[in-house]
Amino acid sequence: MMSEKFGGIVLNVAFRLLVPFTIVYGVYILCLGEFSPGGGFQAGALLSVGVVLARLVLGFDTKFNILGETSLILAGVGTFLYAFTGWLTLFGGAKFFLDYNFMPIKMEPVHEMHALGIFIIEIGVAICVMMTIINLLEAIVKRGEEPDGDSK
Amino acid sequence: MRGLVAILLAIITGLFCAVVTFLPPIGDVKNAPHQHVTPTYIERSAEDTGSPNIVTGLIIDYRGFDTMWETSVMFLAGLSTALILSNNRCGRRPIEEQEIEEGEIIK
Amino acid sequence: MQIYILEAILLVFLICITSAVIFCKDILSAAIIYCAFSFCAVLLYLMMGSPDVAFTEAVIGTVSTIFFVTCLRKIDRWCE
Repeated sequence: MMSEKFGGIVLNVAFRLLVPFTIVYGVYILCLGEFSPGGGFQAGALLSVGVVLARLVLGFDTKFNILGETSLILAGVGTFLYAFTGWLTLFGGAKFFLDYNFMPIKMEPVHEMHALGIFIIEIGVAICVMMTIINLLEAIVKRGEEPDGDSK
Repeated sequence: MRGLVAILLAIITGLFCAVVTFLPPIGDVKNAPHQHVTPTYIERSAEDTGSPNIVTGLIIDYRGFDTMWETSVMFLAGLSTALILSNNRCGRRPIEEQEIEEGEIIK
Repeated sequence: MQIYILEAILLVFLICITSAVIFCKDILSAAIIYCAFSFCAVLLYLMMGSPDVAFTEAVIGTVSTIFFVTCLRKIDRWCE
């Protein structure tokens, strides 16, 4: 179903209009989520919806297609980014995990360092969620396209 | 036996419904967590975390360690789903051996 | 007071949708009715005052419907 095009002209036109707005809104929620309801998880889900919808319209011909192994590796990278920020604060001399006062980059008001750490962590969570959802779709599609062998 | 199990389940469900009525009402200001923890977070989160949104500051700064393991649980869920749905046979017995064993059992 | 009445209507609607999903013989219809379940949950979360959870629920409801329809390729559409 997913390796070739899917749906008729109505679906194609509607989703072609939806995809860029979805991705831009996802990036907006990721960057400005502190001022509005939103955050890393929501941004990751929206970005993954953009990629999945593009996959539905164009099949394997999409420009930003992400394959199974790549998505799995990137999900691990997102989780690692989160943990690595915590380790950075520990190396800076903090007493407990994710104490942003001891980030290696020094800024003058202390809560600016907190904002920087929060932003890095949000990016990590967004990458992890986005790649996990894409990886689920990829696994289901790959399973569905195999011949009906030992699935029983 | 099945009737006994059904009666037990009915009693447990009734107990649950009875206990739920003793819970504090939703949104009451006099609840225990709203007395000390919530006012502290509301007063201090803006200057402590530098984030205008209290929820973001709470989830990622005060409870950052918790959210890290939530993210890893999500990553592990995706990883295990990919492993289960992938069709490689390493670690599994080949089909011919299974057939031979089933034949022996039938004899 | 009116908001409680609306909430009660939505909760009853939620129970009806869940029974429809359970007793539906057509799996494709069940997947699409489940989408309506997610929409009712979004409205309930909005009434309880948590817009971010409602937002996540809306997005995840869309994605899970796509997953269900993709999975339907491997199994039969009708169940006895």
